[in-house]
Amino acid sequence: MSHLSNPLASAAQLFSRTSDNALPIELQDSIRFYTARLTQAAGILLRFPQDITAQANVLLHRYWLMDDLMQHEFSDVSAATIYLTAKMSASPRSLRSITNVYAYLLSPSSSLASDTDPKNDPSSYYLSESTYIARRNRLLHIEGQILAALGFNTHVALPHPLAITYLQTLDAFHGKGGKAVAQKTVQYLNTALLSPQMLYLTHQPCALATAAIYLASREAGVKMPENEWWEVFDTEREELGFLVVGMKSLEGIAQEARERYGGGAMISRDDIRQELRKMGLVPGGGPGSGDAVEDEEAEMARMLDAKVSA
Amino acid sequence: MATKMKSRWADDEEDAELEAQRKREKEEKKRAKAEKQRKLDEQAAQLRLQEEQAAAAATESPSNQRELSSRPSKRRRLSPESAVPQTDLPPAKLLRFPGVEWKRCRSVEDYEKLNDIEEGAYGWVSRAKDMTTGKVVALKRLKMENAQDGIPVTGIREIQTLMDCEHPNIVALQEVVVGEDTSKIENIFLVLDFLEHDLKTLLEDMSEPFLNSEIKTLLLQLTSGVNYLHNNWILHRDLKTSNLLLNNRGQLKIADFGMARYFGDPAPKMTQLVVTLWYRSPELLLGAEKYGTAVDMWSIGCIFGELLTKEPLLQGKNEVDELSKIFELCGIPTEEAWPGFKRLPNARSLKLPKNPATHGSVLRAKFPFLTSAGSSLLISLLALNPAKRPSAKEMLDHPFFAEDPKPKSTAMFPTFPSKAGQEKRRRRGTPNAPVRGAAPDINVVDFSGIFAGREDEEKGGGFSLKLI
Repeated sequence: MSHLSNPLASAAQLFSRTSDNALPIELQDSIRFYTARLTQAAGILLRFPQDITAQANVLLHRYWLMDDLMQHEFSDVSAATIYLTAKMSASPRSLRSITNVYAYLLSPSSSLASDTDPKNDPSSYYLSESTYIARRNRLLHIEGQILAALGFNTHVALPHPLAITYLQTLDAFHGKGGKAVAQKTVQYLNTALLSPQMLYLTHQPCALATAAIYLASREAGVKMPENEWWEVFDTEREELGFLVVGMKSLEGIAQEARERYGGGAMISRDDIRQELRKMGLVPGGGPGSGDAVEDEEAEMARMLDAKVSA
Repeated sequence: MATKMKSRWADDEEDAELEAQRKREKEEKKRAKAEKQRKLDEQAAQLRLQEEQAAAAATESPSNQRELSSRPSKRRRLSPESAVPQTDLPPAKLLRFPGVEWKRCRSVEDYEKLNDIEEGAYGWVSRAKDMTTGKVVALKRLKMENAQDGIPVTGIREIQTLMDCEHPNIVALQEVVVGEDTSKIENIFLVLDFLEHDLKTLLEDMSEPFLNSEIKTLLLQLTSGVNYLHNNWILHRDLKTSNLLLNNRGQLKIADFGMARYFGDPAPKMTQLVVTLWYRSPELLLGAEKYGTAVDMWSIGCIFGELLTKEPLLQGKNEVDELSKIFELCGIPTEEAWPGFKRLPNARSLKLPKNPATHGSVLRAKFPFLTSAGSSLLISLLALNPAKRPSAKEMLDHPFFAEDPKPKSTAMFPTFPSKAGQEKRRRRGTPNAPVRGAAPDINVVDFSGIFAGREDEEKGGGFSLKLI
């Protein structure tokens, strides 16, 4: 039943969104990684159960296979997905709380991704009523775009509960290292959410759970059955190998991004345009020129503002 | 792990060498017990590998195959632990999920509107034709109230629930389409199966109620749909005749999932502001925050009664009136029959008459033509205590459906002129499902008046008639 499975990205979707794009693949990777990490941070500050944050990140990746990465500001897309996911769940949050959290995370006071504790300056993340309304309208606009792009299919099945069931099946909690393995497994699953390889769009939850358990048990030095135990959990050896490599590769991607953009909390479309210029490429918003897209959006924001004030 | 890996990827030469070494060891008879076990595992793995190879290329290495297959019999004689014939191990069958994808919404302009059907509490419905396939569908427009919050969560939940459901008695959501102007998503339409009738309109227009055999068919379909929902952890929370659709082939489908939601065990806290008043169960009226599938079963009971008489069973004017009508029909709750009901939030202001023994259920008297199995089913569905109501599964097995008259085959169902199919607009007679928002608290809903004056009445001389 659907509680165990997800819709997966088709090969055509993956191909067209990653290769027909004006953006070089490494820039796409950093956008996906930074934005997913921002969602995760916001989820923690908004005190969401992890399943909401995880679902939001899966929806984010799915949406970016349909629409151009440069169409909206990345942090706005992250905020809109988290708002949408929370709205459908048992613990919704107001738009005001969400915009506040994002304002903080994007401000210089944000402690996300900074090694030293930054000076806390509340005025740097204060949202005035008018700024809030403009931002809210932007988020609501993106929410509609996301839903339409996904065909209103917002179903996300997560591998986390499956992983715990699998560990119980493997009798992992009997031994000493059981708890550590479970913890590591969940850590790997959450890390995979940030991966620009979009593992949650290419593999079913059962395979993700199995791969995370495989890695976690290897690292914790817990003895696993000597036969092909992953087949019991509906995972082929090939899939397992691919996912294990994918899950381990995030560290490199994170390091590379850090070298490229410094230790900032988040990158914006301007950062990407700057990178493009550095590479000698014309910064544009996908098929159309970037300015045209921006004009259209500014006009939209103006229209929305006019509507609200009316 | 290492030995297994070797065996999996080893070539035939290495295999043969391994085999020879094992034979030598066997002759020496020095194998430790643990060693023996390890070998057995290895052998099993090899066998499986060999079977896979055989499946992939059956004719590739017949000699190797023969050699490998000759081994297990030798082994089995030596070691009694492997009594299970390992040659029977089938290749692993892995679960594969159907490849669903997501697609961008199509435009509503791909459909040609034929006529309006109705305007309900949660949206507007019209009949339309898919211009590419020519298929006639129902288009339901989501109401965009509360633009402050974006797309209404009720609508998103309805779409999500319907997308997850696949059952012959649940209306199928084919897709979701949006208005032509995609820069702003405000016109959202659900593309649903088109069915000619809804039960409410049909009952209003019929001169005679359904036959018993027809009622059984309708109830069976309704209950199997509800059983599917409950098995998948979905509460419908707005079952009523106007949400039950019927086509001209006697098929019933449950529609309108605007109130539906996923639940759990134990039940999570949910709003009691659900289910249209006339179909709302007593525990909801008394303000229970934790409830379960029994609220849908109560609604099925109300629908059962309505099918028998063509009239809604409990037409209360408001919450207080509804509850008093329920107690009139089903008797007055007692601590024995419904333990703990007095602790429900709204029960505190409830003043029950002192001698409830005179107020049993009058359901049997109200439906004198129902067989005893039929009335026992109805009484159990309309049990005040939610724990006493049957589950959908239990209801499907009820003897009422097995006794004569047997449920009528859907193919033999009478057909009716379709209002929805013609250019005719209609308005519903039933009150609407409650609007989302704050549930009424005890101060607003005061049940103290239900039995006011009742006790004085009874103190008078004469006799009271007991209907059983």
